[in-house]
Amino acid sequence: MIDLSYYLIFSLSLYILGIYCLATKRNLIRLLLGVEILINAANTNFITFAAYANPGFVDSMGHSFTSVSIGLSGAVSAVALAVVVLIYRRYGTLDADELKQLRD
Amino acid sequence: MLSLPLDILLIFTIVSPVVGWVTPKLYRAKILGAFTSVALLITGYALYDLYLGSAGASVIYLPSNSLIWATLRIDTLSFFMASIFLGLGFAATIYSIAYVKNKAETPFYYTLILALISGMMGIVFAGDLLILYVFWELMSISSYALIALFKEENTSIEASFKYLIMSAAGSATALFGISFLYGMTGTVNFEGLAATLSGTAPTAWVYIAALFIFLGFGVKTAVFPLHTWLPDAYQAAPSPISAILSGIVIGPGIFAIAKIFFTAFLSIQELWAPALAMLSIITMLVGNVTALMQTDVKRMLAYSSIGQVGYMLIGLAIGTQLGLTGTFLQFFNHALMKGSAFLCVGAIIYRLGSRELSDLQGIGRKMPLTAFALAISVVALVGLPPLAGFPGELTLFTASIQADMTWLGVALLLNIIISAGFYLRIIYALVQPISTSKAEQTKEAPLLMLIPILALVFLIIFFGVWPDPLVNFAGDAADALLSVGGTV
Repeated sequence: MIDLSYYLIFSLSLYILGIYCLATKRNLIRLLLGVEILINAANTNFITFAAYANPGFVDSMGHSFTSVSIGLSGAVSAVALAVVVLIYRRYGTLDADELKQLRD
Repeated sequence: MLSLPLDILLIFTIVSPVVGWVTPKLYRAKILGAFTSVALLITGYALYDLYLGSAGASVIYLPSNSLIWATLRIDTLSFFMASIFLGLGFAATIYSIAYVKNKAETPFYYTLILALISGMMGIVFAGDLLILYVFWELMSISSYALIALFKEENTSIEASFKYLIMSAAGSATALFGISFLYGMTGTVNFEGLAATLSGTAPTAWVYIAALFIFLGFGVKTAVFPLHTWLPDAYQAAPSPISAILSGIVIGPGIFAIAKIFFTAFLSIQELWAPALAMLSIITMLVGNVTALMQTDVKRMLAYSSIGQVGYMLIGLAIGTQLGLTGTFLQFFNHALMKGSAFLCVGAIIYRLGSRELSDLQGIGRKMPLTAFALAISVVALVGLPPLAGFPGELTLFTASIQADMTWLGVALLLNIIISAGFYLRIIYALVQPISTSKAEQTKEAPLLMLIPILALVFLIIFFGVWPDPLVNFAGDAADALLSVGGTV
């Protein structure tokens, strides 16, 4: 079996990638993708830990947590995309730097 | 299924859009408002019944063979938090009947309020982290939608998106931390976590998990570096929603941090307690000093909420039974005081159409009852003795002295003095002579707005004069929290 630490390095780098995306990207859709990457980092962790908890067995709690969180992240994305559509209709742009009404 | 009060609330949530379809269009807003109030009342009765039946012990629901199940652990802390969620939610709903006009979005508004409150109740009822996370997202999604719903402010959509991105990233970070807890222990049950992690020496992963979980839940609680969404969101939301968000939505964050840190992370308490103490001081300083500089009343109250979150964190940092009592007491009373203040400001905005402090001059002469209620809630927020703000702040101060952390109590006192600087400015504006013609034409707020406001003000005075039952209830709640980790 592949060592657990490789999976942990993978999920941590996925997390850092998501934070990097949130910090540097200015497009609203890309910001949303950054959040999705963060959630996937956590999901990867759950799947890994479920497989490694007891060698030879798979713990069902990690899997149920992952499937629930995939569903919830879909719901969050739906609301977020609706808000993005509203923003596009009002401001005519998807650039976060153009949304300046709240900068004071 | 999910315990009777939560079942009732969820069923009403699902039914409410259907009621919105079938009712005649003209009376839709009023009927739905009444429907939501009745739902909250019935849930309140079911909660009270469950509380009487539990007789101080915790009610535990374990997985069973029924269609929908969850691991729930309903103890005194859950009852304490759930009662104020339902109470302030009920007041805001009654207020909304007068505040919300009959629009196409109105049915969704009441559905989202019910979903928000059921999400918060689910969080405090949760017996493991999976259930907590599911209801956490239910609460979060409904609050994003509620802020953007009416588009009454130009900034509301923008504020909603900012809140959404920060809060969703926070939830994902908390989930990442939870995954490490799960990996270390193989369980997400609070008692299981406490039992597994308390005996062993902490590894580096425990610290990493604690950091991620604190950052994640700290976003919703508005702890210092993560607070930037809060003023925008509270300012842009409809006023009853600002009252709910400010009064009670910070509660689940405080609850989640308290519950996880006092069960799973008790073994590293000497590490996180000083960090939390520093953060609480910075949070209240930032909140109170920034509030001094605001001219928009809603924004000022929003920043003062950040200051109040700082006060609540003090009790968690102290970590004794008395400190936690102070935190929960302060949370309960803050919900009453800040809820009432936001509802009053909402009524003034409804009549006057402006939120600038300078336009509020002399409003006290035209809207005497609203202004009286606002003055009482603002004085209570400062923490003057015969009102509800005092017992919580006194308990926190006493706890800090008993735990040899007097500097924390002194920081609290200094911040109360700073906060008096902007709270009293509101009262000052209310009693000035009338200067604008707009203020000349305002009338007293509608009766349906005044009833919840005056009820909240009555409770503020009542719990200020006779705080004993509330203090005992909060003390029992603190005991219930500490007994999960097995330290009492």
